[in-house]
Amino acid sequence: MKKLLYIFIFTFVAAFTGKAQLDRSQPPKPGQAPTINIGDYSKFTLPNGLKVIVVENHQVPVISWQLTLDIDPVMEGDAKGYVDLAGDLLRAGTKNRSKAQLDEEIDFIGASLSTYATGLYGSSLTKHREKLLSLMSDVLLNPTFPQEEMDKSLAQYLSALPIQESDANAMVDNLISSVVYGSEHPYGEVVTKESLGNITRNHVTDYYQTYFKPNTAYLVVVGDIKAKDAKKLVKKYFGKWTKGEVPRKNYNLPSSPAANKVALANREGAVQSVIAVSYPVDLKPGHPDAIKSSVMNGILGGGVFSGRLMQNLREDKAYTYGANSSLSSDRLVGRFTARTEVGTNVTDSALVEILYEMNRLVNEPVEQEALTLVKNYLNGSFARSLENPRTIANFALNIERYNLPKDYYATYLEKLASVSVEDVSAMAKKYIHPENAWILVGGNKADVAPRLARFSEANEVLFYDAYGRPVETTEVSVDADLTAEKVIEKYVEALGGKEKLLALKDVVMKMTTSMQGMTIEMSSTRKAPDKVLVTTSMGGNVLQKQVYDGSKGVVTAMGQTMELSGKQLEDMKAQANMTLELDYGKLGYELKLLEVENVGDKPAYKIQVTSPAGSSVTDYYDLENGLKVKSVSSQDTQMGPMTVTTSYEDYREVEGLKFPFLIKQQAGPQSVDLKLVSIELNKGVGDDVFSIN
Amino acid sequence: MKNRIKFLAVLLLSVMAVTVWGQANKIEFSEFTLDNGLHVILQPDNTTPNIIVSIMYHVGSKNEMPDRTGFAHFFEHLMFEGTSNIPRGMFSRYVEEAGGTLNAGTNFDFTMYYVMLPSNQLELGLWLESERLLHPKVDSVGIATQKGVVTEEMKQTRDNQPYGRLLVETVSRAFTTHPYRWDVIGSDPHIRNARDHEFVDFHDMFYVPNNAVLVIAGDIDISEARPLVEKYFGDIPAGTKEIRRPLPNEPKRTVEVRDTVYDNIQLPMIIQAYHIPGSGTNDYYATEMLGSLLSEGKSSRLYKSLVDEQRLALQVAAVPLGYEQPGLTLIIAIPQMGVDPKVLEDAMNKELENVRTKLISEKEMEKLRNQFENQVVNSNTTISSRAMNLAQNYTFFKDANRINTTLDKYLSVTREDLQKVANEYFRENNRVVLYFLPKSQMN
Repeated sequence: MKKLLYIFIFTFVAAFTGKAQLDRSQPPKPGQAPTINIGDYSKFTLPNGLKVIVVENHQVPVISWQLTLDIDPVMEGDAKGYVDLAGDLLRAGTKNRSKAQLDEEIDFIGASLSTYATGLYGSSLTKHREKLLSLMSDVLLNPTFPQEEMDKSLAQYLSALPIQESDANAMVDNLISSVVYGSEHPYGEVVTKESLGNITRNHVTDYYQTYFKPNTAYLVVVGDIKAKDAKKLVKKYFGKWTKGEVPRKNYNLPSSPAANKVALANREGAVQSVIAVSYPVDLKPGHPDAIKSSVMNGILGGGVFSGRLMQNLREDKAYTYGANSSLSSDRLVGRFTARTEVGTNVTDSALVEILYEMNRLVNEPVEQEALTLVKNYLNGSFARSLENPRTIANFALNIERYNLPKDYYATYLEKLASVSVEDVSAMAKKYIHPENAWILVGGNKADVAPRLARFSEANEVLFYDAYGRPVETTEVSVDADLTAEKVIEKYVEALGGKEKLLALKDVVMKMTTSMQGMTIEMSSTRKAPDKVLVTTSMGGNVLQKQVYDGSKGVVTAMGQTMELSGKQLEDMKAQANMTLELDYGKLGYELKLLEVENVGDKPAYKIQVTSPAGSSVTDYYDLENGLKVKSVSSQDTQMGPMTVTTSYEDYREVEGLKFPFLIKQQAGPQSVDLKLVSIELNKGVGDDVFSIN
Repeated sequence: MKNRIKFLAVLLLSVMAVTVWGQANKIEFSEFTLDNGLHVILQPDNTTPNIIVSIMYHVGSKNEMPDRTGFAHFFEHLMFEGTSNIPRGMFSRYVEEAGGTLNAGTNFDFTMYYVMLPSNQLELGLWLESERLLHPKVDSVGIATQKGVVTEEMKQTRDNQPYGRLLVETVSRAFTTHPYRWDVIGSDPHIRNARDHEFVDFHDMFYVPNNAVLVIAGDIDISEARPLVEKYFGDIPAGTKEIRRPLPNEPKRTVEVRDTVYDNIQLPMIIQAYHIPGSGTNDYYATEMLGSLLSEGKSSRLYKSLVDEQRLALQVAAVPLGYEQPGLTLIIAIPQMGVDPKVLEDAMNKELENVRTKLISEKEMEKLRNQFENQVVNSNTTISSRAMNLAQNYTFFKDANRINTTLDKYLSVTREDLQKVANEYFRENNRVVLYFLPKSQMN
């Protein structure tokens, strides 16, 4: 059905009697473009090799001191996390001060002092500068890395770590590390519980002793201080720092996938998916492509609201609150990433649009208008960034660190202005790879995984845990003789055997669950061969009743009765059959053994069961004890199809047959735990119980 | 790893309303009011060739009807859709074509829009902001699109975010009567049910010159800027409707409320919310300093005791929400792995008991003053922070010059004042306590 679109539903203030001379219909013309001056800096080197950059700015009485180690990243291996820990512990105690004393003295002057793996940063009002410097110097030169403080920090790391398991953004960050960079690269390492457990104090002290040397460090001083005074203070507080040899490392460039691959980290119950299209790029800071490619990325989705990803995914489709892309340069390896968060049900549609926009950028020249817009935007951002004196300091640091031409930033605006449509096309062809990308998703696996395989060349989704580690899904090919039928046979044995099952005449089960503090009772009565009654009640009031009498099925809820048909009737019929697994062959069900996949931490056979009418369920049977542990199916609900996951736990024996005493059901964000409170077998239930009137 | 921990800290701070302003160096500005009631503040700073044109409307979520929660924020989205002279999608485009950037924000008390531009584009900024004050125009496509966008924003910033529901779950229990009882982003069905004429009514009531303050800061010349402001804003008619403003009518709390919320999180979180006075009152400045005493810096009372020494908590924060009318101070703590939240809460309560019964030392008071001096000096270093602080001071207190006197307010708080507010507001029967627990612990 086509909706009639009204161009203007309403206007707010209809009549306006403006002055005749003001023409509001066109945007006003700009005045003459202002000149943009980049502030100056001075630099000097101490005899111990410490390189110092000073940017004066006397607007507010504040000075900051930032010390940066210019070192190659370290592979931490199975003790990943110790480098960051070393950075944190730098201020956890010195030869002269305990941690508590440091904390007290820093807070007392209202200053901030933070330490990290590649340096430290301190800032205070001008009048407290000497006190701050004495603290910084003490922390930098005399840290003691007390074992007690290390244990404390590790305990905190360990406590905080599980937060990632409920944070889809953190999951995608970890996927970017582990799959885009890979485990052979220092950027590809991810902190886990295990890696934290492997850290020793030696890791920490070795790191400090190896890398904290003045001859590999830059000190950037910004603020209310004269260069000559800064020099005196730096000599006084950092002059005694002794130089030493610092190792350099080279790493191979991580490669992009030969064809698109899909990686998914499961976040149970997520209503949104975090999605990213990403791959490594070889782009170093200051490379001749750097400015041109930043313009190209701007058109796609960097910064501007008018970016194509934002316009397409947000303004046109309303899939998301925001969508963007980034193309980072880095001395080791850069990265392209397009990223957004969207509703679970449009995860695949959003990916289609992202890839579409990437392709369009590669294949079609951009409009001159869009190019001008992005160039203007970058011009404006550059000018705005100069408001912060630390920008000038960063420019100076980059020029020194990356050996850029001295006028790199002074000529930035000129170079930006010269970027052409052809340049953008060339950059897109070089750096945008919609066919050699990782497609990374953090979201509800059950809902999104089936719709993602098509984005991979191999038509498969690779599964990872929250920390970017592959989730084991072993192929079943290990045992070629094994068939789905054999798994079912083993299951029947595990339950108590075919004979006992066939001897079962009726079962009455009572279960309870609690929802929002209220107890809900569920009772199910089944009678061989094909009758079932399920009632759901709360405080004695029946909320819902489902009956199948062997041919017809009805549902009664809130005073209304509805006869079942189609898939619902079929489901009911299957539910009524207490020995369905024995009858799979006879009834024409199709079984397919898919693979071995872990349920919890135990391997299980995954079997797809398709009914003669075509509806399908995926069941999981424990590899070891043969019992059914999980079942995943799709149910139609008022909100569209929804995946229902049922787990069967706590099997106990009742008169020689096993029954699960705990059933957990998860449907979308809802989850219920059904506990079996009573079960009775073969009590002679009459047919009248199932009568439909 | 580090990022994770930082993330947590950012999360805790994100519920904070930053209300520190003032500076050691006096901030010079000039102000005037147009005939239609629009108040204008000009703050020249010619250091870099940039300007900010911002307009603050005195309407936030507290002005909404209870069956239209989230309306003020949704309306903010619509204000980017276009005007009689600016087609849909062109508002942000004009700004970006000029090399500028723009955004807006809505909170409990006000809605602020800003455009940052090169200084030769002042007139463009004035045209854009005056256009949407005068005659914004929204079509059905725009409304439908923004409804979808806001739905996703609700999920992204609140419902799908670990601890994202912290604020909404807290205010809905802390306030029984006052409209602070719902959060700014509001309810999805309320927004979806809103009918087109409601947007017109909302605009007519709140988006009028006499309910707004225009602040221009940066590379301007006052003698050139003033006539331009008059040119674009002078003819906009004043509002004629009576503006809906809620009274500070929340009854005094007399009994503690405790509750548990289950969410998609891995670590529990304890939230204590204490009712405090509104922003700008003498007691409010004292409660803010009390918040710093408790959790600003690693030597602060709660951090040192609970995180460092007793190792009961992973994170603690005391966050005063400085709203226009009486708000809350939230004290938030995340227990370390394996620590019973109740044990942690008992330890928190003990620290509060200390503040209530013992006067803090002179030295600790000096530390607080040093911290606030540093904070105030650093809060006005950019043209955008100055524009924001001037606008808020005018909107709340009709006194923009408070930007220059705030530090004195903090410095005049005494040790006795801190003990007084601790006793008056940080009491058991003046609080709501919430335990956020992982869903896995629900049974």
